[in-house]
Amino acid sequence: MSVRPPHLTAGRLATATAVLACLLAATLVATSLVGPVHVSLVRALAGPESTDAVILFRTRLPRVLLGAVVGGSLAAAGAALQALLGNPLACPHLLGISGGAAVAGVLALVAGADAVSPVVPLAAFAGALGAIAIVALGARSGGRTTPHAVLLVGVVFNALAAAALMLVNSLASYTQAQGVLFWIMGSLSTQSYGLIAGAALYSLVGLAWLGLHAQDLNLLAAGEEGAQQLGVEVERTRRAVFLAAALLVGAAVSVSGMIGFVGLIVPHLLRLVLGPDQRLLLPASFLGGAIFLAWADTLARTVLGPVELPVGVVTALTGGPFFLYLLRRDLRRGLV
Amino acid sequence: MKAFLVGGSTSGVGKTTVTLALFLAAALGGCAPAPAPAPAGPPARIVSLAPSITEVVYALGAGERLVGVCAQCDYPAAVASVPRVGGYLAPSVEVTLARRPDLVIAAPSPGNREAVRAIERAGVRVLVVHDRTLADLWASVRAVAGALGTPAAGERLVADVTARLGEVRARVADLPPRRVLVIVGHRPLVAVGRGTLQDELLTMAGGVNVAADAGQVWPTLTLELVVARAPEVIVDASMGSEAGARELFAGLTTVPAVQNGRVVMLADETFLRAGPRVPEAAAALARAIHPEAFAG
Repeated sequence: MSVRPPHLTAGRLATATAVLACLLAATLVATSLVGPVHVSLVRALAGPESTDAVILFRTRLPRVLLGAVVGGSLAAAGAALQALLGNPLACPHLLGISGGAAVAGVLALVAGADAVSPVVPLAAFAGALGAIAIVALGARSGGRTTPHAVLLVGVVFNALAAAALMLVNSLASYTQAQGVLFWIMGSLSTQSYGLIAGAALYSLVGLAWLGLHAQDLNLLAAGEEGAQQLGVEVERTRRAVFLAAALLVGAAVSVSGMIGFVGLIVPHLLRLVLGPDQRLLLPASFLGGAIFLAWADTLARTVLGPVELPVGVVTALTGGPFFLYLLRRDLRRGLV
Repeated sequence: MKAFLVGGSTSGVGKTTVTLALFLAAALGGCAPAPAPAPAGPPARIVSLAPSITEVVYALGAGERLVGVCAQCDYPAAVASVPRVGGYLAPSVEVTLARRPDLVIAAPSPGNREAVRAIERAGVRVLVVHDRTLADLWASVRAVAGALGTPAAGERLVADVTARLGEVRARVADLPPRRVLVIVGHRPLVAVGRGTLQDELLTMAGGVNVAADAGQVWPTLTLELVVARAPEVIVDASMGSEAGARELFAGLTTVPAVQNGRVVMLADETFLRAGPRVPEAAAALARAIHPEAFAG
C-alpha cells in the first residue's frame, strides 16, 4: 500500500524506535497531568499523601499505564495480523479471541463477581486462552493452517460469542446489563498496579515472540512459495504469529474490554511513514498504539468534565473518519 | 372417501368449504381489536408492570385486585402468590392480555414502550405513571388512586408518606449537612445526580450531593472526581460486594469517607423505588450520613 522504503538498517531501526519511545514517555507524563481536576505536579511530589498525589498516582497513572499497555498490545497484534492475513483491514478483534474473552468475563460478572475484583480479568484471560485453542484447532486441516481458515473460524466464533453475550445480557438484571455493556465497549477504569503489571508481562512476552518471527513474516508477506524457498517454515511461522498475536489480544481484552480501531489505524499509519518491514513496524506499532490510546483515554475522561465517556467511543470517532481519509487517499493514488 | 376427493359429492365439499370459511371469518373477526367499552365501575382486575406501582396498589388497599405483576415485584410478601406477566424491562404482552385485566398500570422503562403500546392497541385501559422525582411519586399515587376509584385513600397515603419523610427530615434538621456521594454502580462508577428522587431523599437526609453538578441524572464519574470532591460519606447502593467497594476506593486516603471508614453499603433495593417506602430509604440514608442522630 506504499512506496518501497529504503532497506532497513540497524541505525534506522534504532532511531525510529528511540523517537517513538521518547514520544511515549512524554505522553505518559503529559496525559497524567491532564484531567477534569486540576493537579499540580509540584504539590503531588511534595506531599505523598496530598490530594494531588492521590489523584495523580492512584487514579490517573494506572489509567495512563493501562492505556499504554492495551494500546500497544492491540496495535502490535494488528500489525502482525495485517501481514499474516495479507489484509490491510484485519483488526485484532477479528480473530475471535476478543469474543471468547468477553463471554468469559461477562459470565464471571453475571455469576456475581464484583466488577472491580480481579476475578473478571482472570476469567476473561482464561476465556481468551480457550478461544485461542478453539480457533487454532478449528482452522487446522491436514496439518495446515491457512490464514483464510483462521479468518473464517475467527469470524464465526465472534458471531457465536456475540450471540452468547446477548443471551447472557437478556437474562441478567438491569444493573448487571449496564456493567456488561460498559465492559464490552471497553474501559480503562482504574485497575490495580498488580493487574497492569500482569497484563504488561503477557504483552511483552507476546511482543518478543512476534519480534522473533518478524523477518519470517516479512518474507511470508511477499509470497508463500518464495518464502518457502528462502527457508521459512510457513506453517510454523503462521502458527507462532497467530498465537503471539492472540496472546497480545487476550491480555488486552481481559483487562479493558473490546476497544476498537486501535489495532486497525495505528499499524496503517505507521506503515505509511515507516514502511512495511515488520522488524520496525512491530515495535513501532506497539509504541504508537500506546501513545494513541493514552491520548484517546485522556480525551474520554476529560472532554465531558466530571462525566467519562467510554474510550471505545473516542477511538471510533477519531479512528473512523481518519481511516476513511486514508482509504480515499490511497484510492485516489490507485494504491488500493 | 373417494367420492369426496374426486368431487363426486360436490355439495359435500362445498358445504365443508363454506363452513370452514364461516368458521375462519368468525375466528379472525373475533381477533380484531375492539375499542374498550367504558368501564362499568372501578377496575376489578389490575396488572402492574413495575415494582413501585405494585407497592402503591397494596398501600392503597387494592392488593387483592392484582391479577398480574412484573417479575421484579417482591413487596409486600402477599405479592408472591400473584402470577407474573414478564419483566419490568420486557413485559409479555400475551401473558398480560391473557390475565384479562381491566386496567394495566405501567411506568416507562428502557424497553417496555412497545409492549405497553401493544397492550393499549389491544383495547385494554392503560395508565402510565412516572417515577423519577418525589413530585412524580405524589402524582402517580393520586393517579392510581383515582383510577382505582379510591381518591381519598390516595390523599391519605400521600399525607402519610409526607409525614414520615418529615420525621426523618426533622431528626437531622439541626445537624450541619455532610458531603455525600451515593453510587449505584462500581464499574462503571455511576452516581446519583441532581434531578432524581434519590437525590431529593439524600438532601432530606441531611446530605449534600457531591455529584449534583455533574450535569447528568446518573453520571458516570471518573475516580479522580471522587478524590477531588472529598465526600465525608459514601453510600454504596450498587448491590455489589463490600470487598468490591473496598477495592474500588482503596488508596484514596485523602477522601474523608475512606479515611474514617464511612463507606456504607445499602443492601436493600428499596432505595431505588419511587414507592410508599421512600421514608425507609430516607431513614437508611440519614442513618448512614448522620449516625450520631440515631445512636441510643
